Amino acid sequence: MKLAPSSLRRSLRAVRAGESANGGRAQAPGEDAPPIATELAGRRAGPSYAIEAHDLTKIYDNRYIALNALNMRVRKNSVYGLVGPNGAGKSTVFRLMLGLQRPTAGEIRVLGRPMRAESAELRRRIGFLPTAPVFPRYMTPISYLEFVGKIVGLPSERAKIRMTTLLQSVDLSDVASQRIEGFSTGMETRLGIAAALMNDPELLVLDEPTYGLDPPGRRQMIELIRELSGRDRTIIIATHILNDVERVCTDVGVIAQGRLIYDGQMAEMRRLARQNSITVEIEGNVASFERRIPELDEPGSVRWERAGPEVRITFLGGGAVTEYLKRLLELVERSGVELLRLDTGTHEVEEAFLRRLEEDRSRSLLRAPDWVAEDGAGQPGTEEPGRGDGSHSGAA
Amino acid sequence: MQAYLYLLRLDMEQLARSWLVRIWILLLVGPAGFFVVVAANQRELASETLAAYVAAVLAPLSWLVVAVLSASAVNGEADVVADSILSRSVTRRAYIWSKFTARVGVFLAVYVAVTVPLVYLVLRFAVDDATIEGIVWGLLTVASLLVFLAAFGIALSAIFRNMLASVLTVLVSTVASGAVFQFLALDWMSTTGVVSGLPETFRGEVSVAEQLRVLVVFGVLSVLATMFGMAWFRRKDL
Repeated sequence: MKLAPSSLRRSLRAVRAGESANGGRAQAPGEDAPPIATELAGRRAGPSYAIEAHDLTKIYDNRYIALNALNMRVRKNSVYGLVGPNGAGKSTVFRLMLGLQRPTAGEIRVLGRPMRAESAELRRRIGFLPTAPVFPRYMTPISYLEFVGKIVGLPSERAKIRMTTLLQSVDLSDVASQRIEGFSTGMETRLGIAAALMNDPELLVLDEPTYGLDPPGRRQMIELIRELSGRDRTIIIATHILNDVERVCTDVGVIAQGRLIYDGQMAEMRRLARQNSITVEIEGNVASFERRIPELDEPGSVRWERAGPEVRITFLGGGAVTEYLKRLLELVERSGVELLRLDTGTHEVEEAFLRRLEEDRSRSLLRAPDWVAEDGAGQPGTEEPGRGDGSHSGAA
Repeated sequence: MQAYLYLLRLDMEQLARSWLVRIWILLLVGPAGFFVVVAANQRELASETLAAYVAAVLAPLSWLVVAVLSASAVNGEADVVADSILSRSVTRRAYIWSKFTARVGVFLAVYVAVTVPLVYLVLRFAVDDATIEGIVWGLLTVASLLVFLAAFGIALSAIFRNMLASVLTVLVSTVASGAVFQFLALDWMSTTGVVSGLPETFRGEVSVAEQLRVLVVFGVLSVLATMFGMAWFRRKDL
């Protein structure tokens, strides 16, 4: 993707406003259809959740449990990241959300209405990007988007305006008349995004949106999602790349073995992940340093793990991390060790995610409600810091 | 409705682009010309010429092509169906109905386009022993067999995930059912029985009641296959 972010933003603004990207002029004269912005404004104020799943269960062929009484709520106008390892059940949730599959038990409501196979009108308000989307190979981006425009019921002229704008937004204008069969995975993903946006959806469902994209393409996709988020649009993204989630999502749900094991706001996840936890890499008399760690706080308020020269210290007291940092630096000085690296947060969300999975695995008999907060936010008080696989750990 | 019409058009365009359909038409047209020339030169009977063409060329070729194209209609594009069509504002009924109508429509269009000129030429150049009424009944009977085969194939393509399995099931079950019906002395229900009785039908020697019986039975079977395929597809996980 080579499109400059400013150009991308301009194009997307035009998409939202129902205008041509060419100079941002208003609706074409003589066009009967109302501008898309008017349509957006006309959307009825609905329920506060875009997606609500209650005890959603999916069992394939009476053998494989893909979803196990999953409860999930996605706030309207949020960007929700559904994170989980491969086979956790992310794509199954999406397929149930779109009525492509029927739940074995439980219910899923989308934009306030139950989703069923025949809910075509409801799907008119949804845009979907599957992982590695499959297109009719003989089509071109133009004919494919025209096809999508027809089946979502867009008037022909409006479909053409949207198609042009979207092809420009996803940087496929140059290949718009080439057959899809020669496209790279990244190009197909971008075409999938354009198709998902053809109906200007209220709910955008993206399954692995960065699949097959090179680093610049990934960055552009993240930028695109950021641009698309906001007023009157809910975005739900399934991915296993936590970095992507951290960069764009306002809310996050962690799914493992068909259950939601964490559900809350991204800021809360970050706070949980980084709660007064500092990692230091030191050189010198590490054992002496380790012996003195309990001096950092009240007895019983410090826990640490050591793996070689790296020590990860978690402060369980209620003090500020800056205060703990200051004490830690003093301890380093007193112990006579050399500080090589100090880390208060990098990759912590990923570690928190892995910790959640590990805890879930080891407590497999416990059910999600034990630690998923009723209001959708995580309960920091109920979790214990994980031990990882450090060679040495302790508590004081 | 708009989605249905667009899907219908799309599927018909896809069939028109299909090499299998093009080859099928060529293989029907070439021998048809040969039969006309032979009938004209050898002073063959029109009823026998038409029946021979149906039995030797049209029936076996169409059986193969219709079975393949109908039994791969839905499962042959399973990924596209889920990703590009049914994840959008399209009902399953509209999708499967578009498949039924497009495929049956194209098969019948090819059938009519080949047989009507053939009938005209044969009646003109061969010894005219056939009646118009008999020819209409005969062609309708063959058409009803094709429609049933198409409906059965599309229903199976909605049920089976594996395309090869659905195609083989259509081919094997039509052959096997012919043998079973002959064994049960229900020749009029077997495709081979219907085809072998075509000379009499073209000459108008078969009663209307017998003709109607065949049309009604295969019509009902086609409707049942269509309904079953639609009902199954509406409940299917994609």
